[in-house]
Amino acid sequence: MVLRKTIIPFLAAGLMLTGLVAGTGFADEDHRERGERHSRYMPKVAENATYKQECSSCHFLYLPGLLPARSWEAVMNNSDKHFGENLGLDENTKKEITSFLKNNSAERTDTEWSNKIMRSVGSATPERITEVPWIKKEHRRIKPEVFQRPSIGSFSNCGACHTQGAQGNFEEDAVSIPKK
Amino acid sequence: MRRKISYLLALAVSITAIGTGSADAATKLNPQMQALVDSYQKEAGVKAFSADEGKKLFMSKRMHSVKKEERSCTTCHTTNPAQTGKTVVGKPIDPISPAVTKDRFTDPKKVEKWFKRNCEWVLERECTPKEKGDYITFMTSL
Repeated sequence: MVLRKTIIPFLAAGLMLTGLVAGTGFADEDHRERGERHSRYMPKVAENATYKQECSSCHFLYLPGLLPARSWEAVMNNSDKHFGENLGLDENTKKEITSFLKNNSAERTDTEWSNKIMRSVGSATPERITEVPWIKKEHRRIKPEVFQRPSIGSFSNCGACHTQGAQGNFEEDAVSIPKK
Repeated sequence: MRRKISYLLALAVSITAIGTGSADAATKLNPQMQALVDSYQKEAGVKAFSADEGKKLFMSKRMHSVKKEERSCTTCHTTNPAQTGKTVVGKPIDPISPAVTKDRFTDPKKVEKWFKRNCEWVLERECTPKEKGDYITFMTSL
């Protein structure tokens, strides 16, 4: 009897410990699953060698799922005055990049974030990702001077802070804002 | 002993020679690029290109008629071709100097593409064959 009384607290402590261990176990699994969960709500990663070659020398390789197809069409139709710059793309290159962007656009990638982008854009045709209302809202607490820091340069330079942005991970825990 | 010293001296001299050799050596263009520069020369009708003129072009600033801002090659490439540059949206650009970035000025198609894009950005027109030849001559002289 006395023995049983002393055993009970030990048993209880043992159970609690098991619970704790199991708890961290679950947390770990949760963390591991995140990689897969990205695909459900982050813009989908789509790749095209021509797109990469022609576009990423100058700027972050924006994921096609960040804009509606009509926006990409407008951007590509204006490629001879791309925000004041003539990209000098030949017809085949232009065609290939346009269809790649349109085939993987926000409405073609059924992820939570692309859906949010579509909803926030409404019937507008933004040519800049930085003009998408939902994306602007997500960055509202970042002061303009932060974007001006030498190693960031502008709001358009996603990869400066979204360290895994090129892999489609725009999660807050993958954000590192350079101090300078 | 004396022989040892002379060996060491010879070694030191040859190391110095290698050292200064690579620092002074201009980048030699590959055959495709040489052909492109030759075609510029033919079009321009000049005897030789000038590295000094190329440097002048690289450093010159020009007011853009629409954007009303001063633009230059150096806006993105910095005034030191050996230094990493930055695009207008902040993305790093490998140094333009072929002495530092080995694949610079090795692919005629790429060179033509960037002359077209960047001459229009800075000068609001395409560059002349003379300007392109001078520019490449300057860059390969570094």
